[in-house]
Amino acid sequence: MNIALYRVFLASVLRRRLATALSLIAIGLGVALGLAVQLIHGAALAEFDRGMRLLAGEADLQVLGPRGGFDDGLYVTVARRPEVAEASPILEIEARLPGREETLRILGIDLFRVARVSPVLLPVAAAGGGSRSMGSDSFDPSDQDQRSLTPLILLESDTLFLSAAARAALGVESGNLLTVQSGLRETRLRIAGTVPGAGVGQRLAVMDIAAAQQTFDRIGRLSRIDLRLAPGIDRSLAQRELRALLPAGVELLAPEAATAQAAGLSRAYRVNMTMLAAIALLTGGFLVFSTQLLAVVRRRQEFAFLRALGLDRPMLVRGLLAEGVAIGLLGGALGVAFAHALTAFALELIGGDLGAGFFRGLAPALPFRPDLASAYWLLGGLAGLAGAWWPAREAARLVPARALRAGDEAELLRSPSRLPAALGCLALAALACLLPPVGGVPVFGYAAVALILAGAVLSLPSATRLAMRALAAGRVVVLRLAHARLASSPGQAVVAGAGVVASVALAASMAIMVSSFRVSVDDWLAQVLPADLYVRASSSAASGFLEPDAVDKVAALAGIASVEPIRYDTLRLSAGHFPMTLIARPLDGAFSLPLIAGSQAGALGDGGAAPPAWISEAMADLLSLGVGASLTLPLSGEAHDFRVAGIWRDYARQHGAVMIELSTYRAITGDERSNDLAIHLAGGADLDALMHEIRDALGARHIELSTPGEIRAISLAIFDRTFLVTYLMAAVAVLIGLFGISTTFAALATSRCKEFGMLRHLGLLRSQIGRLLALEGALTAAVGVAVGMAAGGAIALVLIEVINRQSFHWSMDLTVPAPMLAIFAVALVALAALAARLSGHQAMRRSAVVAVREDW
Amino acid sequence: MLEVEQLEKRFSAQAAHPLFAGVSFTLAAGECVAVMGESGVGKSTLLNCIAGLEAVDGGRIVLDGQELTALDDDAFARLRRRRFGFVFQAFHILPHLDVLQNVALPLWLLDVESGEATRRARAMLERVGLADRAGDWPRHLSGGELQRVAIARALVHGPALVLADEPTGNLDPERADQVLGLLLESIRSAGAMGILVTHSQAAAARADRVLRLAADGLREFDKAA
Amino acid sequence: MRRAVAFLLIAVAACGSSVAGQAGENFAQPAFRGQDKQWVPTVSPPPTTDVLPTGSGGYPSVVEGRPLVFPQDSGAHPDYRTEWWYVTGWLTDAEGAERGFQVTFFRVRTLIGEDNPSRFAPRQLIVAHAAIADPATGRLLHAERAERALDPLAGAAVGRTHAWIGDWVLEWRDGRYTTRIADDGFGFELDFTPEGPPMLNGRAGFSQKAPDPINASYYYSRPQLAVTGRLRIGARHHEVTGRAWLDHEWSSEILPDGARGWDWVGINLHDGGALMAFQMRDEAGAAMWSAGTYRAGRGEPQILDPEAVRFTPLRRWRSPRTGAEYPVQWQLDIDGRRLTLEPLFDDQELDSRRSTGAVYWEGAVRLLEGGREIGRGYLEMTGYTERLRM
Repeated sequence: MNIALYRVFLASVLRRRLATALSLIAIGLGVALGLAVQLIHGAALAEFDRGMRLLAGEADLQVLGPRGGFDDGLYVTVARRPEVAEASPILEIEARLPGREETLRILGIDLFRVARVSPVLLPVAAAGGGSRSMGSDSFDPSDQDQRSLTPLILLESDTLFLSAAARAALGVESGNLLTVQSGLRETRLRIAGTVPGAGVGQRLAVMDIAAAQQTFDRIGRLSRIDLRLAPGIDRSLAQRELRALLPAGVELLAPEAATAQAAGLSRAYRVNMTMLAAIALLTGGFLVFSTQLLAVVRRRQEFAFLRALGLDRPMLVRGLLAEGVAIGLLGGALGVAFAHALTAFALELIGGDLGAGFFRGLAPALPFRPDLASAYWLLGGLAGLAGAWWPAREAARLVPARALRAGDEAELLRSPSRLPAALGCLALAALACLLPPVGGVPVFGYAAVALILAGAVLSLPSATRLAMRALAAGRVVVLRLAHARLASSPGQAVVAGAGVVASVALAASMAIMVSSFRVSVDDWLAQVLPADLYVRASSSAASGFLEPDAVDKVAALAGIASVEPIRYDTLRLSAGHFPMTLIARPLDGAFSLPLIAGSQAGALGDGGAAPPAWISEAMADLLSLGVGASLTLPLSGEAHDFRVAGIWRDYARQHGAVMIELSTYRAITGDERSNDLAIHLAGGADLDALMHEIRDALGARHIELSTPGEIRAISLAIFDRTFLVTYLMAAVAVLIGLFGISTTFAALATSRCKEFGMLRHLGLLRSQIGRLLALEGALTAAVGVAVGMAAGGAIALVLIEVINRQSFHWSMDLTVPAPMLAIFAVALVALAALAARLSGHQAMRRSAVVAVREDW
Repeated sequence: MLEVEQLEKRFSAQAAHPLFAGVSFTLAAGECVAVMGESGVGKSTLLNCIAGLEAVDGGRIVLDGQELTALDDDAFARLRRRRFGFVFQAFHILPHLDVLQNVALPLWLLDVESGEATRRARAMLERVGLADRAGDWPRHLSGGELQRVAIARALVHGPALVLADEPTGNLDPERADQVLGLLLESIRSAGAMGILVTHSQAAAARADRVLRLAADGLREFDKAA
Repeated sequence: MRRAVAFLLIAVAACGSSVAGQAGENFAQPAFRGQDKQWVPTVSPPPTTDVLPTGSGGYPSVVEGRPLVFPQDSGAHPDYRTEWWYVTGWLTDAEGAERGFQVTFFRVRTLIGEDNPSRFAPRQLIVAHAAIADPATGRLLHAERAERALDPLAGAAVGRTHAWIGDWVLEWRDGRYTTRIADDGFGFELDFTPEGPPMLNGRAGFSQKAPDPINASYYYSRPQLAVTGRLRIGARHHEVTGRAWLDHEWSSEILPDGARGWDWVGINLHDGGALMAFQMRDEAGAAMWSAGTYRAGRGEPQILDPEAVRFTPLRRWRSPRTGAEYPVQWQLDIDGRRLTLEPLFDDQELDSRRSTGAVYWEGAVRLLEGGREIGRGYLEMTGYTERLRM
């Protein structure tokens, strides 16, 4: 096909500036959202992965324990194994910094060992800084290449080395002191240098492992041992041999497995966001479809004429597809550019996890991924192509001889009923909901969503006919006309309404899902926070904790009815999963679990049988456990048998959690420390005064006091932040859907000039034509909104019952925000009427005589 | 040389009476013929059938020895590209292409190199007296000018047969005469054949022959009478 | 190398001056006793930590008159700041090829984490160095390891020579020393059998390093060690025999103010005797102090005073890597005898600027008298590149 011939088509695209621009925007937004989600998560994941690799260095295998760590005697055993060439022990501390919000990740390292496994973690003493290191100071300090063998400052018990990102985040410099907290005790550490290998995105600090053990009361404990195997040793073989040495709850993993665990944790969330972007892109594709189909309606004579000139059908199809691809690629290019702006903005503003909290402590840089960018660019082109496909085929089916003369655009809009196909899609969707997830991702759930959308769009003609049949035409002429028009050309409803259906379905489903989720979380928070006051030294991951004497001090205060200590740790139950959370707390008292199965009775056990444990939904799903099943928990390096007494709802820990009675935990582990205290006040006690007293008793800088109300408020704020992006995407999709209505009516109004001219001749007022258009717009939108709402409800059910369950393993109670949806629907119909009325404005202004005489 | 033999067309395959039947005529190179008839007798349909835009229900059309009625849709489209020219009552000048591009369109369809296409289109525009409007948009042209553009486009690729359907139907009488003169003169000087469907006696008078279409066939109309 | 690293370690922790007691004239004569005839136990039990005189900074001072007790003193002295076991020698393989070798284990007390119950507390550091001087290579092959002492992964045992880092080890066992070193480029497993009792340097093992007796060490040598074992260079294995020399030295304060570097030599004489000599150079390159020990045949060691030891550079070699100029050939005047030191080959410079930061020359040398080779051993020269700063 002659290149110049494409001009015939592309010049036409340029002439339809408004419709083209809207299609461009729609595709651009879809591409931008999808790519931005990918880029942001990619950046965060890459930084996370870089961090993992950085820490793992050249390690072939890693010995990993629970958060509480494992006995460092294991290091001596493992390091001496013949399979092991190098073993590098690491104690990882999330240090609480009194008086600061943020915590600091401190890695206690053995300088001599880490140098051979993860040399990037090597600290470097600050030049000068009042400290002397053996090599650089003894010999020529001007030689920058000189690295000292064992600068003693690196070993000292009070020195800390901060990565550039950590220094920037904390606003400290070498030579400053930094106060860290262990338990309720403060220690002041000297910042003596840097960790230059950590790179710009990693907030971490390094100190000597012995100093870390001492400073943070973790004598004899390690978090991790990084292993390099001796040359010629097979990794899986070594893994088998070495595993035999490990106590219960300690794992031996390849470093990439640890990364994969973390990536798996956020994968479901990422897939969710990507799917939302895909729906935006799909809506963009619908819009291209609408504009292209309308263009075909309008240009049918042009095409007939071209065919008369000898343009064959394949050439016509190619030309029209080229139009779609051109719009798609241009929109895609805009989208790619916009995505990068969006990504930079998001990384700056809400961090690499889009507010979901998966990647704390990372400051990823704005990435440029040529592969992703070009993939999304092409995806834009594909959306354009797909949108242009059906209209192009319709155009090729035109009978030129007829189109050359008659002005019957309704030919194309006389859409046949596609009810069987629609029902087929819905049936398939129902089947897809029954299938299990693939690799933790609810692939079939998403397929069901897509099928429901497709079924909804396909059912539009039938729905329109049905609606028109139900709607008595009445006597008002405008209503009659609108009724007749829609009843005879339901295709118009498809063209105008497809975008509306998709976006309304998306928005409604999100609204229902988020509302159900939020109400369920709110109820859940009320149930898991029954006490009057909560005390903690730090978050359970960080280095603060409470010794029994501190608990006693609080319990002894007047006005306190009871104090329930809570202890947290993590458990490594299986190699494939992220560590699960262990919660030990008194369970025979006031606290009642948000159980969905089993019972809380007999919390203390009956002495003889295995003690009871209550597992979260996620854990029940991940490990396929039911009530009554037996469960082995590794506590203090030994396996202990429990039985599952109940399953509870947990929105806080997607990776799974298990709760056991505190007294059982203490009897097994001998660990008397607590992380949190749940405090019940005696009747008439003054909460504020009591909080004051507790702060005095434990040190205001060292503890955090919260009331359930505060915790609830913070939790819901985090929840809302997480779904902020979701709301934004839904809004964008609705906007795109409205664009669809407005462009459709603009195009139809232009092509119906003659019809309007004729109506004016017959005596219809100009304002009546305006009302006719508004009415048609409103009716079209109403049908679209109704179908969209129904589809949205179905999709919400899929999201709640299939996608959320399979991705995050939590259930929720369905709550439909009916008033909000009703307002939304009415507003959308009104907006559609307005859009249709405004788009027809141009057509109504033309002289009736000219309009009738114009032949085309 | 165009030979039309016993051409028959029905509204539909089941229709009892044909729209027309037994239509036969021949046309020699350089000859222009006008087709007249009552409204609804199928003049335009006849033109569409000859152009392959509508299927015929009987008879043959042979152009320079090639039987057109044997061609499939796309083959006919490719043939049209090379050997046919069209002039319509409604001009059908593409609004998003400028005048020169509209004239070059048939050459683009024939995959003529774009510089050469521009050169030939410009030469053609000169012949219809619109050389100075080459870069203008169609919306700035009058009806008569538009039809001259259409004539230039119909002849730019040197077709064997030019089909014109009421080419002057949208023009006032004075301008119609000019345009018609230009059309016929252009067809003759190019050595092509022309079939002109018209209601206008004046227009028919300028053709070499006049044929009258009725349901039972085509009859030579005595110009003299 | 040994002193280079040792001084590095010491330099860090050094502060103030020692208040060591005045050096006495108490020359304890070694006497043989017990089954292990290779050792020289003394009459008195070893002193305990709490009676040790302590210098500033928490380290005990080296004082004259503390008798060396064997085998107790062949082990580590963890209270002192720094200590090393240093073996050098010549090896001959089955084809007659000759190579020098060196293996050293250092122990350093850091005074860090002494109150820390962690098993990782870096109270003691162990550093090991090994090198092969192969004329066929034309330069040194060299490897090193460093660890905190953490039983059983790395350490230096008290009571008997036994220092190790992972599978690198130097130890006294069954009447001989054994060492095992393995690195990517080379490795060796060697046994060293002593021919007689330790040779105490200085005044009964009290070795003064500078005009001020504060700068001193406890120091004995085991010359004329008979070597057997295996050497690997790259992938090639060689059965080797030879002669080696072991130094064991511990102190808290060696390097005097104003010292730029030192030259040290330890030679096994072909007549069965031994010669140790060193000089400490000042900033101008002149000798601040020199001393030595000479033993003719299997006779009694003779302590050489500063006046009896003189080093005179003869030929210099410039390192193409560092630009440093080393006197690779020396004239050595020992108690009136004029001797010459000649290197096995010139380029025995150890450039470890990338790891330890130290650059020095340490290599195999021959000792000649009147053009005739009378012994072989090792020469160490430091302070030829940059000024050694305190």
